[in-house]
Parts: sequence; C-alpha cells; structure tokens
Amino acid sequence: MSHELHPLVKLLLDGELRLSDLPPELKPEGERALRLLESIDHAPVALSPALDQRVMMAVRARATSRWRWLVQPRELRIHVRPWTLVPALAAAAALVFVVLRPAAPSTESVATVAAPESVTVRLVLHAPGAERVAVAGSFNQWNAAATPLLRSGTTEVWTATLTLPVGQHQYAFVVDGIRWMPDPSAPGVDDGFGRRNSVLAL
Amino acid sequence: MKITAIGVTLVLAAGGLAAQQDVRARLEGRVPAEVSAAVVAAATQAGAQGLPVDPLVQKALEGAAKGVPAERVIAAVQELAARLATAAGALHDGGVATPSSMAIEAGAFALTAGMSPQQVRDLAAVSVPPYDPATSLRVAGTLAAIGVPGKQVVDVVSTTIQAGLSQAEVAALPGSIQTRMARGATPAQAAAGQTRATATRPAPAGPPTERPVRPADRPARRP
Amino acid sequence: MPGSVGAPTIWAMKRSSGDGASDADVVQAVLAGDVERYAVLVRRYRDRYARYAAGLLGSIDAAEDAVQDAFIRAFDQLSQCRDPANFAGWFFLILRNRCFAERRRGGREASEEELKDATATGRWARAEAAAETDDLRRAVQRALLELTPEQREVFVMKHVEEASYEEIARRTGATVPSLKMRMHRAYDRLRGLLREHWK
Repeated sequence: MSHELHPLVKLLLDGELRLSDLPPELKPEGERALRLLESIDHAPVALSPALDQRVMMAVRARATSRWRWLVQPRELRIHVRPWTLVPALAAAAALVFVVLRPAAPSTESVATVAAPESVTVRLVLHAPGAERVAVAGSFNQWNAAATPLLRSGTTEVWTATLTLPVGQHQYAFVVDGIRWMPDPSAPGVDDGFGRRNSVLAL
Repeated sequence: MKITAIGVTLVLAAGGLAAQQDVRARLEGRVPAEVSAAVVAAATQAGAQGLPVDPLVQKALEGAAKGVPAERVIAAVQELAARLATAAGALHDGGVATPSSMAIEAGAFALTAGMSPQQVRDLAAVSVPPYDPATSLRVAGTLAAIGVPGKQVVDVVSTTIQAGLSQAEVAALPGSIQTRMARGATPAQAAAGQTRATATRPAPAGPPTERPVRPADRPARRP
Repeated sequence: MPGSVGAPTIWAMKRSSGDGASDADVVQAVLAGDVERYAVLVRRYRDRYARYAAGLLGSIDAAEDAVQDAFIRAFDQLSQCRDPANFAGWFFLILRNRCFAERRRGGREASEEELKDATATGRWARAEAAAETDDLRRAVQRALLELTPEQREVFVMKHVEEASYEEIARRTGATVPSLKMRMHRAYDRLRGLLREHWK
C-alpha cells in the first residue's frame, strides 16, 4: 500500500493550491493532510532567562584571558634540534617562542588600540656568538634593518615583539647582517630563490 | 556620449597609473631598475585581473634584500603572479564568485606549500559560511608546510568543517597536529589521527547536501 | 491554506531596538573591546531561532544548549563576520551547523528521551485542547522526529516558522527545487508514519 500523497495534495500543503483547486476525488485526502498541518504547534518557544547569563559568563572568561590564539587560550612552543651555522659561528639552537596576546586593548594600553584583526607575537632566537640579529619578512618589507632583535642581558637569547595582522607571513632571521637563517622548527616554504622562508600563519 | 566615454577611460587610466606609481615608489632605491619595471608590468596585469598586487612587491623586496640576481627576482615575481592567478581560478571553481585578496593570497600560499589547484578548489568548496576560505587555505598551507600530504590536508580540514566544529578549531589544526607529531607521529600519521578523532564524534554518511556540493544551477554564494 | 495568511514571516521582523544601536554598531563595539555589549545581541536573538532549534532537535533543553553554544561560537568568530549588519543571518548559520552536528551525533533514530520530551505537556501540547486533537498533535510531533535532519529543517522552517521556500533557500543556501523535493519526501514519510490518524 503506497503512502505517497498525490502531487496535487503536496502542492496544497505547500500553499500553492487551495482546497477548492483540487479535483473532487482528492478533496478528502487534501482535507486530512491539512488537518495534520493545522495540529502543529506554532507557539513561540522561549528559552530560559538564565541563558543570557551563561553566554555572557563564557564570553567574559574568553575576553579576560591573557593568552589568546585567535579565540582560544593557547601557548605554542616549538623546540628544535640544534642548528649548526657556518664555522664562523658557534652552533645555535633556535627556539621560537610565540606568545599571543588578545588583540582587543587591555585596560593598561588604551592609547594603543590594536586593530581587531591583529595578534602580538614574540620571537626568540638562541644564537651564541652572534653580534647582531634581526628578523626580515613580509611584515617589514624584508628590511633587515627594520626589526632588530634585542639581546636579553648578556645571555645568548635574542627577542623581538611584533604586532602582525591576521594572515600568513613569511620571515627569516638575519644573523650579523650576512647570514639568512630560516627557523628550522617553524613550517617552511620555498622562497622562490632556492632557499626557505619560515611561515607564521595567524 | 562620446565625451562621457572618453572621460570614463581617462578616469580608469588615471587609477591604473596611480597604482603603478605606488609600486614604483615602494621599490625605489631597493631594487634595480629592470626589476622595478618588471614588477610594475606584472602588478598592472595582476591588478587588471583583480589579483592582489602586494605579494608581488614583497617578493621583489625579498629578493633584493637577499642579494638575489635581478633576472632570478623577475622570474620569481612572474611565477608568483601566475600562482595568484591559479589560486583565484581554483577559488572560483570551488564556488567563491569573488574571492577576497586574503583568500587569493592564502590560496597562493597553499600552492607554494605544495597543495594542488584541485585541492585548493576542494577546500574552497567546503568552506561555506560561516567558514572562511582564507582561513581554511591558510591552515592548509601551514599543514602542507609541516609535511602533511595534500590529500590528508584536505581530509582533515574538510572533516573538521563537516563535523560542525568552530572556525577557531579549524585554525587550531596545525597546533593539534604538531602536538601529535611531538609524540612521534609522522605528519601524515598525525593528520590521519586527527581526522579519525574528529570523524568518530559525528559519523556523517556523506557530506550533507547543504554544504560542499555545488550544482550548476546554484547561485553564487557571495555577492 | 495551511498556516495563517498574512502573518509576518519571522525574517521580516524589524530588529528590536533594545538599546537603539544597530547590529553592525554593536558588533564593531564588541570587536573594539566592549565585550559587555555582546549581551545586546544575545538578548535580541535568543528567542528568534529557539523554535527552529527546538523543531530540529526535538526538545527545549537541546535547543537551549544549541543556542547557548552558538552564541559562544559566534563570539569566538566575531571578527570573521563579514557583514555585521546581517549578524542575525550569520548567527543563524552557526546555530544551524550546531543543530545539524547534534543531529548527526545523535544518529537517525530519535532517542526515547526526545520522544518523551516532544510529547510532554507544556510547550508542545496545549492543556485545554480536545483529547483527539491532542492525540494527533503528539503523533505529529513524534513523526517529525523520524524525519531526516534536512527534511525536518525544511518542514519546521516552512510550517512552523512560516517562511517561504525562497526565504529558506536564502537562509540555508539550498536551491528551491531541492527544498521542495525534500519537503515532498517528508510529506510522504509523515503520511506513512501517521496512517492511523489518516481518517
């Protein structure tokens, strides 16, 4: 026994025909079908008033968290094997420590309103024996002089803090103005010149 | 009528000239003259095709900063221009009627990292709102750059989207997969493991008809 | 004709001006750091799609979870809302994804809890209705739970929310012909499930 409705009855249910449009032999089926539809509850559904509170609690917790990877708190630490430079430089282990702060301004930095779609990144390089270290990339027009890393005290650790727009950025370290060095721990892509760039996808 | 047409042509030409001057200004003093001329030509053509111009300028500046010979820089810029065009085409094939500059750049990045145009197209097709193809492709390029094979990149991103997980969870895929790699998995194993973990939460029989399928009669989903 | 002719479709409703600001203004304010303003959007849209979510998921509790979850996800992704003036449509898609993911997790068969919840007194039944109509209403609610999520969605949007096929197509991205095909299959399935009431 087929349970299929006549196509004209389906059009009736769709609202494209009226009951009076149906041929007499289909009217009873049409009426029965309409009765089913009319029994459906159309009453608006109201959700619990506590829902607003629960949503805002979750929202506040996310907003006040100091560490944000786009939207979730996340600290990304990538460790690498030691990177051996040319004999003129001592072996260096590159440690890239990426720390992301919320792009929305915190209460102590109202003056510097970061654009909603940017993240702050700190790069760290361990380069014993280096006299100066810089980072060049798509974010500073590949100008090695534009973003020097700062040595922390007398250690061999060099750091730089950058605020970058959301997107993908390519970069490399420049050690002592002569040696271009991708970050061996970060994802790398061909730079089109036979070498590799490191990638920051924010 | 004739005068109006000339007026419009002059306005359009002026706009193109301004863009060219901007490119020249950015390259001045940083690249040799022949590189500047080649980049301006490539940028003019790219701009006319609706492709982003900035990556071409960046590539020229990068080559110069690295001391690369002029003809090699020119070749790299032209190759990048072609890749941007391929990415835009793949996005279009994937149903994105007017891809944003960010999406095109992300697509070119994915191609540079080793993804194929078909894979870029497939990722664009699955990234319907509220998912953003720029994010999917950025994530895909990053995964490919850390060694995940292209097919598995598409699998893991698609599965994450089709499971209804958030955009943030898509963006977090490189971190999740790197965590698995830190435990000893190869990139391919890590991605496969991530895909399995996501897929065993819901168990779609196949992609829901609302999402990745794009029948010919479907209107473009972006204005 | 089924439904009430002339009733405004839910999509045509003007945005309530709780605090007077447009959705675009509120979204920009939240993105600039005024997180508390997000409560305006929650208040504006919490109930608009409640009926849709309840229709799809079969219970008020499940709808509440889905709407709450969708608001939190929307906050997380707010910087990716390309058209803040159409926050409502963008939020709807997030909620819809969440509901579909929920349906897929639950499998095709409606759980016993859902069936009980669907027929519970309160929202889905009217205490004062005649016993016979009540019986039919409960039977229809149970039968709706047996539809596929896609069939259920188009049925709820058309016959509970009273949206047109064109509106549904615009909201979900499906084509009108595919929606009609889905709907007509739903009618046949309901006809089979409700044959005892087919008098």
